[in-house]
Amino acid sequence: MKKADPRVKLFWVLLCTTGVLVFSRPFWVLGIALFTLAGTLSFGVDLQSLLQRLRRFLPLLVVISLLHLLFVQTGEALVFIRGYQVITSGGIIRGVITLVRFFVILCSAAVMGNENIRRVLAALTKLRIPYLFSFMLMIALRFIPSFQSSFSDAIIALQLRGVDLNKLSFRRKIRMYGDLLLPVVADAVVKSRQLAIVMEARGFGAFDKRTSYLEVRMTAWDWIVTGALFTLGAAAFGYYFF
Amino acid sequence: MISAIALLDLAFHYGRGNFTLFCPSLDFSLGELSLITGSNGSGKTTLSKLMSGILKPQQGEVRMFGKTASSLRLGEIGSQVGYLFQDPSRQLFAGTMWKEMTFADDLLGKEQTSSAERASSLLERFDLLALKDRSIYYLSGGEKQRLALCTILMGGARFLILDEPTVGLDRQNRRILYGIIDDLLAEGRGLAVITHEDELIERYPEARRIKVENGQVLP
Repeated sequence: MKKADPRVKLFWVLLCTTGVLVFSRPFWVLGIALFTLAGTLSFGVDLQSLLQRLRRFLPLLVVISLLHLLFVQTGEALVFIRGYQVITSGGIIRGVITLVRFFVILCSAAVMGNENIRRVLAALTKLRIPYLFSFMLMIALRFIPSFQSSFSDAIIALQLRGVDLNKLSFRRKIRMYGDLLLPVVADAVVKSRQLAIVMEARGFGAFDKRTSYLEVRMTAWDWIVTGALFTLGAAAFGYYFF
Repeated sequence: MISAIALLDLAFHYGRGNFTLFCPSLDFSLGELSLITGSNGSGKTTLSKLMSGILKPQQGEVRMFGKTASSLRLGEIGSQVGYLFQDPSRQLFAGTMWKEMTFADDLLGKEQTSSAERASSLLERFDLLALKDRSIYYLSGGEKQRLALCTILMGGARFLILDEPTVGLDRQNRRILYGIIDDLLAEGRGLAVITHEDELIERYPEARRIKVENGQVLP
Protein backbone atom coordinates (compact mmCIF):
# COMPACT_ATOMS: atom_id res chain seq x y z
CA MET A 1 0.00 0.00 0.00
CA LYS A 2 2.96 2.33 0.55
CA LYS A 3 3.55 2.56 -3.19
CA ALA A 4 -0.12 2.96 -4.09
CA ASP A 5 -0.89 5.39 -6.88
CA PRO A 6 -1.47 8.94 -5.56
CA ARG A 7 -4.98 8.80 -7.09
CA VAL A 8 -5.84 5.93 -4.72
CA LYS A 9 -4.62 8.00 -1.79
CA LEU A 10 -6.53 11.06 -2.99
CA PHE A 11 -9.70 8.97 -3.30
CA TRP A 12 -9.15 7.58 0.20
CA VAL A 13 -8.63 11.13 1.56
CA LEU A 14 -11.80 12.29 -0.20
CA LEU A 15 -13.77 9.36 1.22
CA CYS A 16 -12.54 9.78 4.81
CA THR A 17 -12.84 13.57 4.97
CA THR A 18 -16.29 13.62 3.33
CA GLY A 19 -17.47 10.84 5.63
CA VAL A 20 -16.24 12.49 8.80
CA LEU A 21 -17.79 15.83 7.85
CA VAL A 22 -21.12 14.41 6.66
CA PHE A 23 -21.72 11.77 9.34
CA SER A 24 -22.75 13.12 12.71
CA ARG A 25 -23.68 9.98 14.66
CA PRO A 26 -20.89 9.37 17.22
CA PHE A 27 -20.22 5.68 16.43
CA TRP A 28 -20.06 6.35 12.71
CA VAL A 29 -17.57 9.16 13.29
CA LEU A 30 -15.45 6.92 15.54
CA GLY A 31 -15.64 4.18 12.88
CA ILE A 32 -14.33 6.63 10.26
CA ALA A 33 -11.52 7.60 12.67
CA LEU A 34 -10.41 3.95 13.02
CA PHE A 35 -10.69 3.43 9.27
CA THR A 36 -8.58 6.57 8.70
CA LEU A 37 -5.94 5.47 11.20
CA ALA A 38 -5.69 2.03 9.58
CA GLY A 39 -5.38 3.65 6.13
CA THR A 40 -2.78 6.17 7.33
CA LEU A 41 -0.55 3.41 8.69
CA SER A 42 -1.11 1.19 5.62
CA PHE A 43 -0.09 4.05 3.32
CA GLY A 44 3.30 4.09 5.07
CA VAL A 45 3.00 6.95 7.57
CA ASP A 46 5.23 6.21 10.55
CA LEU A 47 3.16 5.98 13.76
CA GLN A 48 5.75 7.94 15.78
CA SER A 49 5.83 10.86 13.32
CA LEU A 50 2.01 10.82 13.19
CA LEU A 51 1.84 11.06 16.98
CA GLN A 52 4.38 13.91 16.97
CA ARG A 53 2.29 15.75 14.37
CA LEU A 54 -0.86 15.23 16.45
CA ARG A 55 0.88 16.34 19.63
CA ARG A 56 1.81 19.67 18.02
CA PHE A 57 -1.85 20.38 17.30
CA LEU A 58 -3.14 18.99 20.58
CA PRO A 59 -3.54 22.32 22.46
CA LEU A 60 -5.51 23.80 19.54
CA LEU A 61 -7.70 20.69 19.27
CA VAL A 62 -8.38 20.66 22.99
CA VAL A 63 -9.37 24.35 22.97
CA ILE A 64 -11.73 23.89 20.00
CA SER A 65 -13.28 20.79 21.57
CA LEU A 66 -13.69 22.60 24.90
CA LEU A 67 -15.47 25.46 23.16
CA HIS A 68 -17.92 22.96 21.66
CA LEU A 69 -18.27 21.25 25.01
CA LEU A 70 -19.17 24.52 26.75
CA PHE A 71 -21.24 26.25 24.10
CA VAL A 72 -23.30 23.41 22.66
CA GLN A 73 -26.30 23.15 24.95
CA THR A 74 -28.29 20.23 23.57
CA GLY A 75 -29.22 16.84 25.03
CA GLU A 76 -29.23 15.94 28.69
CA ALA A 77 -27.75 18.47 31.15
CA LEU A 78 -24.90 16.82 33.07
CA VAL A 79 -23.09 19.56 35.02
CA PHE A 80 -24.69 22.60 36.65
CA ILE A 81 -22.95 25.62 38.19
CA ARG A 82 -25.18 27.90 40.28
CA GLY A 83 -28.27 26.56 38.57
CA TYR A 84 -26.92 27.07 35.01
CA GLN A 85 -26.30 24.01 32.88
CA VAL A 86 -22.66 24.08 31.79
CA ILE A 87 -22.00 20.69 30.25
CA THR A 88 -24.55 18.69 28.33
CA SER A 89 -24.41 15.28 26.66
CA GLY A 90 -24.82 17.06 23.29
CA GLY A 91 -21.82 19.26 24.08
CA ILE A 92 -19.64 16.26 24.92
CA ILE A 93 -20.65 14.48 21.71
CA ARG A 94 -19.98 17.57 19.59
CA GLY A 95 -16.63 18.10 21.34
CA VAL A 96 -15.53 14.53 20.62
CA ILE A 97 -16.80 14.67 17.02
CA THR A 98 -14.85 17.89 16.40
CA LEU A 99 -11.71 16.28 17.83
CA VAL A 100 -12.15 13.26 15.55
CA ARG A 101 -12.76 15.48 12.50
CA PHE A 102 -9.46 17.25 13.05
CA PHE A 103 -7.78 13.89 13.61
CA VAL A 104 -9.01 12.64 10.21
CA ILE A 105 -7.91 15.84 8.48
CA LEU A 106 -4.43 15.63 10.08
CA CYS A 107 -4.09 11.94 9.11
CA SER A 108 -5.08 12.78 5.52
CA ALA A 109 -2.52 15.58 5.45
CA ALA A 110 0.13 13.17 6.78
CA VAL A 111 -0.58 10.65 4.00
CA MET A 112 -0.43 13.26 1.23
CA GLY A 113 2.56 14.99 2.84
CA ASN A 114 4.41 11.66 2.70
CA GLU A 115 3.87 11.35 -1.04
CA ASN A 116 6.34 12.57 -3.66
CA ILE A 117 5.16 15.96 -4.95
CA ARG A 118 5.94 15.10 -8.58
CA ARG A 119 3.91 11.88 -8.41
CA VAL A 120 0.95 13.80 -6.98
CA LEU A 121 1.24 16.42 -9.73
CA ALA A 122 1.38 13.68 -12.38
CA ALA A 123 -1.67 12.01 -10.82
CA LEU A 124 -3.64 15.27 -10.76
CA THR A 125 -2.72 15.91 -14.40
CA LYS A 126 -4.08 12.42 -15.24
CA LEU A 127 -7.28 13.45 -13.48
CA ARG A 128 -7.43 16.31 -16.03
CA ILE A 129 -6.86 19.01 -13.42
CA PRO A 130 -4.94 21.88 -15.11
CA TYR A 131 -1.26 21.74 -14.17
CA LEU A 132 -1.31 25.39 -13.07
CA PHE A 133 -3.95 24.67 -10.39
CA SER A 134 -2.41 21.42 -9.16
CA PHE A 135 1.03 23.04 -8.99
CA MET A 136 -0.35 25.94 -6.94
CA LEU A 137 -2.09 23.49 -4.61
CA MET A 138 1.11 21.53 -4.05
CA ILE A 139 3.14 24.68 -3.45
CA ALA A 140 0.55 25.83 -0.89
CA LEU A 141 0.87 22.49 0.92
CA ARG A 142 4.66 22.72 0.86
CA PHE A 143 4.42 26.16 2.46
CA ILE A 144 2.95 24.69 5.66
CA PRO A 145 6.26 23.21 6.97
CA SER A 146 8.08 26.43 6.01
CA PHE A 147 5.44 28.44 7.87
CA GLN A 148 5.78 26.16 10.92
CA SER A 149 9.57 26.46 10.84
CA SER A 150 9.45 30.30 10.68
CA PHE A 151 7.04 30.40 13.61
CA SER A 152 9.10 27.94 15.62
CA ASP A 153 12.31 29.96 14.92
CA ALA A 154 10.57 33.14 16.12
CA ILE A 155 9.50 31.41 19.35
CA ILE A 156 13.04 30.03 19.91
CA ALA A 157 14.60 33.44 19.22
CA LEU A 158 12.24 35.09 21.65
CA GLN A 159 13.05 32.57 24.39
CA LEU A 160 16.75 33.07 23.73
CA ARG A 161 16.19 36.76 24.53
CA GLY A 162 15.38 35.61 28.03
CA VAL A 163 11.60 35.30 27.72
CA ASP A 164 10.46 32.31 29.76
CA LEU A 165 7.14 31.29 28.19
CA ASN A 166 6.11 29.41 31.35
CA LYS A 167 6.23 32.63 33.33
CA LEU A 168 3.98 34.57 30.94
CA SER A 169 0.35 35.02 31.84
CA PHE A 170 -2.28 33.60 29.48
CA ARG A 171 -3.15 37.14 28.29
CA ARG A 172 0.49 37.97 27.51
CA LYS A 173 0.96 34.63 25.75
CA ILE A 174 -2.03 35.33 23.49
CA ARG A 175 -0.61 38.78 22.74
CA MET A 176 2.79 37.26 21.98
CA TYR A 177 1.38 34.67 19.55
CA GLY A 178 -0.65 37.42 17.85
CA ASP A 179 2.44 39.63 17.51
CA LEU A 180 4.53 36.78 16.13
CA LEU A 181 1.90 35.56 13.68
CA LEU A 182 1.74 38.73 11.58
CA PRO A 183 5.44 38.87 10.58
CA VAL A 184 5.45 35.13 9.92
CA VAL A 185 2.49 35.53 7.54
CA ALA A 186 4.21 38.56 5.96
CA ASP A 187 7.33 36.43 5.49
CA ALA A 188 5.25 33.73 3.76
CA VAL A 189 3.78 36.36 1.41
CA VAL A 190 7.27 37.66 0.58
CA LYS A 191 8.45 34.09 -0.11
CA SER A 192 5.47 33.39 -2.35
CA ARG A 193 6.20 36.54 -4.36
CA GLN A 194 9.83 35.50 -4.74
CA LEU A 195 8.73 32.04 -5.82
CA ALA A 196 6.40 33.52 -8.46
CA ILE A 197 9.30 35.58 -9.88
CA VAL A 198 11.60 32.55 -9.88
CA MET A 199 8.98 30.39 -11.61
CA GLU A 200 8.39 33.01 -14.30
CA ALA A 201 12.12 33.39 -14.78
CA ARG A 202 12.27 29.64 -15.42
CA GLY A 203 9.58 29.96 -18.07
CA PHE A 204 6.71 28.47 -16.07
CA GLY A 205 3.48 28.57 -18.08
CA ALA A 206 5.26 29.52 -21.33
CA PHE A 207 3.54 26.66 -23.16
CA ASP A 208 -0.05 25.42 -22.97
CA LYS A 209 1.00 21.84 -22.30
CA ARG A 210 3.74 20.55 -20.06
CA THR A 211 5.54 17.31 -20.71
CA SER A 212 6.93 15.07 -18.00
CA TYR A 213 9.25 12.07 -17.88
CA LEU A 214 7.40 10.81 -14.84
CA GLU A 215 4.21 8.91 -15.59
CA VAL A 216 2.02 7.37 -12.92
CA ARG A 217 0.11 4.21 -13.80
CA MET A 218 -2.63 2.47 -11.89
CA THR A 219 -1.69 -1.15 -11.21
CA ALA A 220 -4.20 -3.98 -10.86
CA TRP A 221 -3.83 -3.73 -7.09
CA ASP A 222 -4.58 0.03 -7.23
CA TRP A 223 -7.79 -0.68 -9.17
CA ILE A 224 -8.80 -3.37 -6.64
CA VAL A 225 -8.23 -1.00 -3.70
CA THR A 226 -10.09 1.82 -5.45
CA GLY A 227 -12.98 -0.54 -6.24
CA ALA A 228 -13.09 -1.76 -2.62
CA LEU A 229 -13.02 1.84 -1.31
CA PHE A 230 -15.76 2.85 -3.73
CA THR A 231 -17.97 -0.09 -2.73
CA LEU A 232 -17.37 0.50 0.96
CA GLY A 233 -18.04 4.24 0.62
CA ALA A 234 -21.23 3.72 -1.41
CA ALA A 235 -22.48 1.11 1.09
CA ALA A 236 -21.71 3.36 4.09
CA PHE A 237 -23.33 6.47 2.60
CA GLY A 238 -26.29 4.41 1.35
CA TYR A 239 -26.85 2.77 4.74
CA TYR A 240 -26.47 6.06 6.61
CA PHE A 241 -28.86 8.11 4.52
CA PHE A 242 -31.41 5.65 3.21
CA MET B 1 38.26 31.82 33.64
CA ILE B 2 34.60 31.19 34.39
CA SER B 3 33.16 28.22 32.58
CA ALA B 4 30.07 29.21 30.57
CA ILE B 5 29.19 26.10 28.60
CA ALA B 6 30.51 22.59 29.16
CA LEU B 7 29.79 19.80 26.69
CA LEU B 8 30.30 16.36 28.19
CA ASP B 9 30.76 13.55 25.64
CA LEU B 10 27.76 14.36 23.47
CA ALA B 11 26.09 12.33 20.79
CA PHE B 12 23.18 13.69 18.82
CA HIS B 13 21.21 12.48 15.84
CA TYR B 14 18.13 13.85 14.15
CA GLY B 15 14.95 11.76 14.08
CA ARG B 16 15.32 11.05 10.38
CA GLY B 17 18.52 10.46 8.44
CA ASN B 18 21.85 8.93 9.30
CA PHE B 19 23.72 12.02 10.49
CA THR B 20 25.12 11.77 14.01
CA LEU B 21 27.27 14.36 15.74
CA PHE B 22 29.83 13.19 18.29
CA CYS B 23 31.50 15.68 20.56
CA PRO B 24 34.11 14.91 23.22
CA SER B 25 34.16 16.93 26.44
CA LEU B 26 34.68 20.63 25.72
CA ASP B 27 34.55 23.71 27.87
CA PHE B 28 33.76 27.27 26.73
CA SER B 29 34.65 30.12 29.07
CA LEU B 30 33.74 33.76 29.47
CA GLY B 31 36.26 36.18 27.94
CA GLU B 32 37.33 33.56 25.42
CA LEU B 33 36.76 33.44 21.64
CA SER B 34 36.29 30.04 20.02
CA LEU B 35 36.15 29.63 16.27
CA ILE B 36 34.21 26.60 15.07
CA THR B 37 35.18 25.66 11.54
CA GLY B 38 34.33 22.86 9.15
CA SER B 39 32.90 22.18 5.73
CA ASN B 40 29.22 22.47 4.81
CA GLY B 41 27.08 19.77 6.41
CA SER B 42 29.81 18.73 8.84
CA GLY B 43 27.64 19.52 11.90
CA LYS B 44 28.72 23.03 12.94
CA THR B 45 25.19 24.40 13.24
CA THR B 46 24.05 21.26 15.05
CA LEU B 47 26.90 21.74 17.54
CA SER B 48 25.93 25.39 18.05
CA LYS B 49 22.27 24.45 18.61
CA LEU B 50 23.34 21.89 21.21
CA MET B 51 25.47 24.56 22.91
CA SER B 52 22.51 26.95 23.04
CA GLY B 53 20.01 24.39 24.32
CA ILE B 54 17.86 24.53 21.16
CA LEU B 55 18.65 20.84 20.60
CA LYS B 56 18.97 18.25 23.36
CA PRO B 57 21.62 15.53 23.04
CA GLN B 58 20.59 11.86 23.16
CA GLN B 59 23.82 11.03 25.00
CA GLY B 60 26.04 13.08 27.27
CA GLU B 61 25.27 16.34 28.99
CA VAL B 62 25.39 20.09 28.35
CA ARG B 63 26.06 22.31 31.36
CA MET B 64 25.47 26.06 31.33
CA PHE B 65 27.04 28.14 34.07
CA GLY B 66 27.17 25.02 36.23
CA LYS B 67 23.58 23.91 35.65
CA THR B 68 22.43 20.97 33.56
CA ALA B 69 20.90 22.42 30.39
CA SER B 70 18.18 19.74 30.24
CA SER B 71 16.82 21.04 33.54
CA LEU B 72 16.63 24.61 32.19
CA ARG B 73 13.90 26.06 30.02
CA LEU B 74 14.99 27.89 26.86
CA GLY B 75 13.81 31.17 28.39
CA GLU B 76 16.12 30.63 31.37
CA ILE B 77 19.03 29.74 29.07
CA GLY B 78 18.35 32.89 27.01
CA SER B 79 19.16 35.16 29.92
CA GLN B 80 22.71 33.72 29.94
CA VAL B 81 23.40 32.42 26.43
CA GLY B 82 22.47 34.20 23.19
CA TYR B 83 22.27 32.76 19.70
CA LEU B 84 22.62 34.64 16.43
CA PHE B 85 20.98 32.71 13.60
CA GLN B 86 22.75 32.33 10.27
CA ASP B 87 19.90 34.36 8.77
CA PRO B 88 19.14 37.12 11.30
CA SER B 89 15.79 37.84 9.59
CA ARG B 90 14.50 34.67 11.26
CA GLN B 91 14.89 36.19 14.71
CA LEU B 92 13.36 39.60 14.01
CA PHE B 93 9.61 39.91 14.14
CA ALA B 94 8.45 43.26 15.56
CA GLY B 95 7.43 46.13 13.26
CA THR B 96 10.22 48.63 13.86
CA MET B 97 13.75 48.48 15.22
CA TRP B 98 12.66 50.13 18.47
CA LYS B 99 9.74 47.71 18.99
CA GLU B 100 12.11 44.84 18.27
CA MET B 101 14.44 46.02 21.02
CA THR B 102 11.73 46.44 23.64
CA PHE B 103 9.51 43.50 22.58
CA ALA B 104 10.81 41.02 25.17
CA ASP B 105 10.85 43.54 28.02
CA ASP B 106 7.29 44.66 27.18
CA LEU B 107 6.17 41.06 27.21
CA LEU B 108 7.85 40.43 30.56
CA GLY B 109 6.28 43.62 31.96
CA LYS B 110 9.66 45.16 32.83
CA GLU B 111 9.95 48.78 33.83
CA GLN B 112 9.72 50.87 30.64
CA THR B 113 12.21 53.63 31.47
CA SER B 114 15.07 51.29 32.20
CA SER B 115 14.20 49.16 29.16
CA ALA B 116 14.21 52.26 26.92
CA GLU B 117 17.54 53.42 28.36
CA ARG B 118 19.18 50.06 27.71
CA ALA B 119 17.71 49.88 24.21
CA SER B 120 18.94 53.42 23.35
CA SER B 121 22.38 52.75 24.72
CA LEU B 122 22.75 49.48 22.78
CA LEU B 123 21.43 50.95 19.52
CA GLU B 124 23.80 53.86 19.88
CA ARG B 125 26.72 51.57 20.53
CA PHE B 126 25.89 49.49 17.44
CA ASP B 127 25.42 52.68 15.36
CA LEU B 128 21.70 52.04 14.83
CA LEU B 129 20.04 54.71 16.95
CA ALA B 130 19.30 56.97 13.96
CA LEU B 131 17.31 54.12 12.41
CA LYS B 132 15.28 53.24 15.49
CA ASP B 133 11.90 53.96 13.87
CA ARG B 134 12.71 52.16 10.63
CA SER B 135 10.74 49.03 9.68
CA ILE B 136 12.80 45.86 10.01
CA TYR B 137 11.81 45.00 6.42
CA TYR B 138 13.81 47.96 5.12
CA LEU B 139 17.08 47.14 6.87
CA SER B 140 20.21 45.94 5.10
CA GLY B 141 21.73 42.54 5.95
CA GLY B 142 24.41 44.14 8.15
CA GLU B 143 21.85 46.28 10.00
CA LYS B 144 19.60 43.27 10.60
CA GLN B 145 22.53 41.36 12.01
CA ARG B 146 23.56 44.16 14.36
CA LEU B 147 19.95 44.57 15.46
CA ALA B 148 19.66 40.82 16.16
CA LEU B 149 22.85 41.06 18.26
CA CYS B 150 21.40 44.05 20.15
CA THR B 151 18.21 42.12 20.96
CA ILE B 152 20.30 39.23 22.32
CA LEU B 153 22.28 41.62 24.50
CA MET B 154 19.03 43.19 25.71
CA GLY B 155 18.22 39.77 27.16
CA GLY B 156 21.45 39.93 29.18
CA ALA B 157 23.37 37.07 27.52
CA ARG B 158 26.91 36.65 28.80
CA PHE B 159 27.92 34.03 26.24
CA LEU B 160 27.09 34.46 22.56
CA ILE B 161 27.01 31.92 19.78
CA LEU B 162 27.21 33.44 16.31
CA ASP B 163 26.31 31.16 13.39
CA GLU B 164 28.30 32.26 10.31
CA PRO B 165 27.98 35.99 11.09
CA THR B 166 30.06 37.20 8.12
CA VAL B 167 27.92 35.55 5.43
CA GLY B 168 26.58 38.16 2.99
CA LEU B 169 28.37 41.09 4.65
CA ASP B 170 30.48 43.55 2.68
CA ARG B 171 33.94 44.63 3.84
CA GLN B 172 32.63 47.63 5.82
CA ASN B 173 30.02 45.58 7.67
CA ARG B 174 32.57 42.85 8.37
CA ARG B 175 34.84 45.48 9.95
CA ILE B 176 31.94 46.70 12.10
CA LEU B 177 31.29 43.10 13.16
CA TYR B 178 34.95 42.56 14.12
CA GLY B 179 34.77 45.72 16.23
CA ILE B 180 31.69 44.36 18.00
CA ILE B 181 33.42 41.02 18.65
CA ASP B 182 36.44 42.87 20.12
CA ASP B 183 34.16 44.96 22.36
CA LEU B 184 32.19 41.95 23.59
CA LEU B 185 35.42 40.11 24.45
CA ALA B 186 36.79 43.17 26.20
CA GLU B 187 33.61 43.24 28.31
CA GLY B 188 34.40 39.71 29.45
CA ARG B 189 31.68 37.94 27.45
CA GLY B 190 32.38 34.59 25.87
CA LEU B 191 31.95 34.00 22.15
CA ALA B 192 31.72 30.96 19.92
CA VAL B 193 31.75 31.88 16.25
CA ILE B 194 30.93 29.42 13.49
CA THR B 195 32.76 30.40 10.36
CA HIS B 196 34.65 29.34 7.30
CA GLU B 197 35.71 32.88 6.52
CA ASP B 198 39.53 32.97 6.25
CA GLU B 199 39.59 36.70 6.98
CA LEU B 200 37.91 36.20 10.36
CA ILE B 201 40.12 33.21 11.23
CA GLU B 202 43.27 35.16 10.34
CA ARG B 203 42.12 38.20 12.30
CA TYR B 204 41.97 36.21 15.53
CA PRO B 205 45.12 34.03 15.55
CA GLU B 206 44.93 33.66 19.34
CA ALA B 207 41.37 32.32 19.24
CA ARG B 208 40.73 28.73 20.11
CA ARG B 209 40.01 26.58 17.03
CA ILE B 210 37.51 23.76 17.03
CA LYS B 211 37.08 21.72 13.89
CA VAL B 212 34.02 19.72 12.92
CA GLU B 213 34.48 16.99 10.32
CA ASN B 214 31.78 14.58 9.18
CA GLY B 215 29.89 14.80 12.45
CA GLN B 216 32.98 14.53 14.66
CA VAL B 217 34.03 17.52 16.77
CA LEU B 218 37.83 17.79 16.94
CA PRO B 219 38.92 20.14 19.74
